[in-house]
Amino acid sequence: MILPLSPHLDEPAEMIGGKARGLVTMMRLGLAVPAGWVIPVDVCRAYLTDGRLSGGLVAELAAAVRGPVSVRSGASVSMPGMMSTLLDVSGEDLGKAVEAVFASWDTPRARTYRVLHDIPHGLGTAVTIQTMVYGERGGSGVAFSRDPNTGEPGLYGEVLLGRRGDAVVSGGSVTEPLSVLPPGIGEELSEALGRLEGHYRDACHVEFTFEDGRLWFLQVRPGGLAGRAAIRVAVDLAEEGTIDRRTALLRVEPSTLASARTPRLAATTEIVARGVGACPGVASGRVATTSDGAVRMAADGPVILVRPETSPLDMHGLAAAAGVVTARGGPTCHAAVVARSMGKPAVVGVGSHDLAEGQLVTIDGTAGVVAPGSVASVVTDADPQLGTLLGWAAELAGEAGDEVALLTAARAVLQRERENAPE
Amino acid sequence: MNTLLHTLRCIGFATLDRIAKIAALPEPEAESELIDLAVAGLVTRLPGEFGGWGLTDRGKEAASKQAAAELDATGARPRVLLAFDEFLVLNPELLDLCTAWQVRSDAAKVLALFADFDRRASAVIADVAAVLPRFGRYRERLSAALKLALDGRTEYLTDEMESYHAIWFQLHEDLLVTLGIPR
Repeated sequence: MILPLSPHLDEPAEMIGGKARGLVTMMRLGLAVPAGWVIPVDVCRAYLTDGRLSGGLVAELAAAVRGPVSVRSGASVSMPGMMSTLLDVSGEDLGKAVEAVFASWDTPRARTYRVLHDIPHGLGTAVTIQTMVYGERGGSGVAFSRDPNTGEPGLYGEVLLGRRGDAVVSGGSVTEPLSVLPPGIGEELSEALGRLEGHYRDACHVEFTFEDGRLWFLQVRPGGLAGRAAIRVAVDLAEEGTIDRRTALLRVEPSTLASARTPRLAATTEIVARGVGACPGVASGRVATTSDGAVRMAADGPVILVRPETSPLDMHGLAAAAGVVTARGGPTCHAAVVARSMGKPAVVGVGSHDLAEGQLVTIDGTAGVVAPGSVASVVTDADPQLGTLLGWAAELAGEAGDEVALLTAARAVLQRERENAPE
Repeated sequence: MNTLLHTLRCIGFATLDRIAKIAALPEPEAESELIDLAVAGLVTRLPGEFGGWGLTDRGKEAASKQAAAELDATGARPRVLLAFDEFLVLNPELLDLCTAWQVRSDAAKVLALFADFDRRASAVIADVAAVLPRFGRYRERLSAALKLALDGRTEYLTDEMESYHAIWFQLHEDLLVTLGIPR
């Protein structure tokens, strides 16, 4: 029932999950992946029917796996943040850990997520089990082959020195840019991401840990870029010859075009805090660290509300502010939902920061950054890549009204071509 | 328990009409009582476009004390704690739904999921209301917001002051205040 992870594992993602498939791909490309095993999805389906693990599986796990290990879910489709991950599991707890991951497939929240995203409930998840690597003896991070905010080529990411990967993914800790990595590690990451881009023909990002100077790859995901980054990467890849122009057009959803012209800060701007962009747009104002203060200060000019997190007691402050920054929270937190309902730029989850009452700042809710002062270098033009993409669309579809209509028409032409193409 | 003090502790600064409506009091009665509370130093009024009535620090302390006293007097703590655990399971799902509503386009699907969520949330709130009847107001208010949304007033999911999201967060705050759990 358990399959060892190896470059020779041929089972498809439908059976071993997207995460294990990515690990196998990395092994084939010669990247260092901690030793591991995968429990295929049919075992999960049996668990969901029977309500318990088979005795055979427990015995097999005991015989094959030496602890301590990490135990992670991995369906054939991505369900970020929905299911359990357990770290540092020792041998005797392994059955329980696997059961916890299987059970997390069926929580009401996970069910709601699947309905929203048209994922069948019966699909089930695979489980990957891997020998622990310890970021405490080095660091952990996420590295992108291109900047996920802008699409600009080149290594981009964040790292927590002396910490495990779950601390990076869960947010709330202050990460550092990859430039703080010890000599050699950054180059190794760049080289690996280059190989992965060549394989997937798309921008990629990896989760990594380095332990005692040795770099390990824990996960890879291709694509997943949004907004202007998606446009720039599709066009750049076509111009580099990695994909053709038709593929580039099919990779950009017409709904992306609106965000290409949302005001944002120029890339050269100095940054004093970095979090997650929760509502796009740029706003400048004086920092108010309480909601009562925001209401008072708003009489004299625009205010940026800066809170550890927000609650109903901050509604008047949120209403008075031009934008909001929180130390804690992710894209679904209270501040994020309220800011979107009010159409105000929001940056959440910046961690600890030095923003002081009364200080003038500018926030960018697309990139998720806070800059000092009232920044004049706000960009409202789209990247040149947008014009290039629309030019390719016009070659296929001719004149078709506004740019959304043009891209939609070009994509329709390509989709018809694909449907009519002989197998 | 002083209803206005507790209401302000859960909803934050608000205008008189909202406070009266949520506390289910006639406006003149609410206003007169707010003035008494202000004289006692528990309530203050912030001027300006975004101002309103809200608690002072002393008011917050008094609200916490009376909530704790009520919980002890009724012996409801064990049931409220159990319900709070269930609330914490529901909470991320509701936030997912609110975010999905704001960033996705399949309205009918998200609305149906809200309705399904509301059935499960109602059961949890009923558990609390069985020992602390004032929590029954949250069921009424959430149902009213959902009904408006299902009738086409979809701003009552996340955008209005009396939206499902706003009421849900007040319920969250109320449970924290009632149990004396800091944020």
